[in-house]
Amino acid sequence: MTEQNGSALALAEKYYTQYGLRARELKAAGRKIIGYLTAMGPVEILTAAGVVPFRLKGNVAEAITRGDAYMETIVCPFVRSVFDAAVKGKFDFLDGLILPHQCDSIDRTSDIWNYDLTLPYFHFLNVPHMTDDPSFEFMKEILRIFISSLEKVTGANITSEALAGAIQAHNDNRRLIRELYALRKSNPPLISGTEMMKVLVAIMSLPVDESSALVESVIRDVKQREVAGNGRRQRIMLIGDQIDDVAVTEIIEAAGAWLVMDDISIGAKMHWADADASAEPVHAIAERILRKLKLPTLAESGTTYNESVDSRFGHLRRHIDEFNVDGVIHIVYKYCDPYGFEVPALKNFIESNGTPVLYLEDEYSTSALGRVKTRIEAFLEMIA
Amino acid sequence: MAEQRKARQLATEAAVKVPKIARANLVATVKAKEEGKKVAYAFIDSGQEEIMRAMDIVPAWVESFSGICSAKRDAEKYLQKAEADNLSRSLCTYATCNLGFDMWRQELEGEMPPGAPWGGLGKPDMIIGSGQQLCDPRFKWPQATQFYLRDVPMFLAGLYYPPWDPTLDEKEFKEQEKIYVNYTAAEYREQVRFCEKYTGKKMDWDRFEQIVDLTDRTWDLFVDTYELRKAVPTPMDTGDAMNTMVPFAFNLATQEAYDFYLALNAELKQKIAEGKGVAEHETYRLVWGAGLPSWFALSDFQYFNDKGAVFPVEITYRNAEKIERLELPKTSDPIEHCAWRRVKFWTHWYEKARKRPGSLPKVERIIEYLEGYGCVGVVFHSAFSCRSWHAGIVQQAQVLRKMYGDIPVLIMEGDIVDISAYNEVDTHNRIDAFIETLEARRIQKRP
Repeated sequence: MTEQNGSALALAEKYYTQYGLRARELKAAGRKIIGYLTAMGPVEILTAAGVVPFRLKGNVAEAITRGDAYMETIVCPFVRSVFDAAVKGKFDFLDGLILPHQCDSIDRTSDIWNYDLTLPYFHFLNVPHMTDDPSFEFMKEILRIFISSLEKVTGANITSEALAGAIQAHNDNRRLIRELYALRKSNPPLISGTEMMKVLVAIMSLPVDESSALVESVIRDVKQREVAGNGRRQRIMLIGDQIDDVAVTEIIEAAGAWLVMDDISIGAKMHWADADASAEPVHAIAERILRKLKLPTLAESGTTYNESVDSRFGHLRRHIDEFNVDGVIHIVYKYCDPYGFEVPALKNFIESNGTPVLYLEDEYSTSALGRVKTRIEAFLEMIA
Repeated sequence: MAEQRKARQLATEAAVKVPKIARANLVATVKAKEEGKKVAYAFIDSGQEEIMRAMDIVPAWVESFSGICSAKRDAEKYLQKAEADNLSRSLCTYATCNLGFDMWRQELEGEMPPGAPWGGLGKPDMIIGSGQQLCDPRFKWPQATQFYLRDVPMFLAGLYYPPWDPTLDEKEFKEQEKIYVNYTAAEYREQVRFCEKYTGKKMDWDRFEQIVDLTDRTWDLFVDTYELRKAVPTPMDTGDAMNTMVPFAFNLATQEAYDFYLALNAELKQKIAEGKGVAEHETYRLVWGAGLPSWFALSDFQYFNDKGAVFPVEITYRNAEKIERLELPKTSDPIEHCAWRRVKFWTHWYEKARKRPGSLPKVERIIEYLEGYGCVGVVFHSAFSCRSWHAGIVQQAQVLRKMYGDIPVLIMEGDIVDISAYNEVDTHNRIDAFIETLEARRIQKRP
């Protein structure tokens, strides 16, 4: 799908800049739109129910002005920013909201989302943190509870066949996104980190078929670009949770580096894990969320450090090798226990393999960008 | 260097004995090796101690250690150590304090860091944590600890309770509750297998059953004892409860804890008989609504008491209910009983919340205490480093006012361990203003 009078990247930019525009159009056309927070959103189930999954984002450039009346400032700044946008009516097209239990900032504020937003539908998906067998069985149970709750509100019969179809559609979508990522392996990468960020954000507001069409078009357009042999720059990977704005990518690339890979929750973290299309659908969705998403809010039990470290961070090393990464920028939002407690181990794991890491604690806000810029520029100079 | 200061004046004899108990818990972790016992880093309020006690594993209560460092105003050196290794100051300071201690000990090749409070905490043979509804540090802190203590195996149990969903009918809720109970029981069984593997012993199920029964009786006695505080004047307030919770939180499933509450029960009855109260002139009865206290500033409770304000009841650390009130299904399986007890403790306010549309279980608990203890206001403490207890306080206050009426509420700000977040003058000014509000209301209500 491309816009008639512009390129696929221009369409991505439009959906990025006017986030929620397409969801509003679809709502006006009679579709139900259900919002979700985080990479744990059970998108396959929403798609199978015939509703449009819409991932919520905040706005790093906008000060939180109303959200603080409901939510303490010790809560994750991303969660606060999204809630602030919601109470300001920026998601007034939503028919409902799903809050997966990713962390304390979400769990402990779930009553606030439910009570103060007064959406027609609200569901707290109590995803466990453990990945052991009892947790896996429990995960399947909570997905079944969610399915039954969604059936009630949409009137849809969410059959195994519908789920299998949705799994296939979302797997195809992720495969295309990974294909797009692969175009960043060259020197220089065919698509910049900033362009990629816009695509990643744009597609999380679209139904899966439209998302796939857009990504396919971007791949087609980008492949037509000519590789300019303009030397070698530092190849950077960005690690973090919900980084969903070009503010940071622009700093990295303006400083003369190429942002070639990420492990962020709207990017590779989410799109590298497929659901097993050959398995029973609920089993496959549970397995994808609980055992395949490499989020710091999921943990193995019964292990020593050496036994668990590769399963926690091994994929990062593979990304570093595959995308020929020279340095890693790791951004953790203030008040984030799940990411924050990982910093020494993660930094050590990557650096022990010879790749330097810059760790930055940041707000989900452009207000501190000056400091971030200085640190990133100094890091890039250091590894040059 | 720990700051020297005057200790808080304690109202009960029982509270005076608590430091000895807390110290003995630390000493036990250091001496365990001599006694051939295994030590496990452990976390409160997870219901995992009964298995540990039955298998002779000595719990090393990491939160207790950090609380003690805080109370002694001696946590800063550990917090700085953690911060130097990129552990942010905004993370749970119970965790970062303990991690700083572990880092230091590793640098000393296993030797106890000099000046560790009360002899320090013994090195664990295992870590028993939980991914659960209580907080993220329950599983992230053990993982972070393993980075410094790499040879120490870790077990994490998933322990959850059903989220509040006012749209569910009774039948739907009961079905969901059972799923949570089954999951909890399965995780406790996983813990038994883990403990058997790393202790080399098999679980003695008869002993476990006796320990579970002792815990049930301690829950009952604990609640009966704390309910004596309904008396006017109250014989004990939250300032003391922040000490007397120690046997419940850290010695549960032992005879010692049960005996402690027997003694406290007798002492409170004696005080009631003598008409002895916490404050010289008890004027305002308050609920300590939510939030862990600033352990380095427990004297703030004295400040309240000196102004005639007492706390006969608190949410914090009162994680028990009379067993009969929980209406647990009958089962011959003690593991299943523990699972029901844990889940029902968190859900037993749901019924009340359903009956008051627009309310919340957390608010119903506050209302129950306001009414049961004759209180006229609520005080919360918001600790900046902890999202678990401290996110959602504003909403609780708002819903409470909406559901129950325009009741005075104070939200204090600080931290549990990090003294840099505390301002005594500002805190006392806010308390003064709150007392003035209470006084104005009192005068208004005079006939």
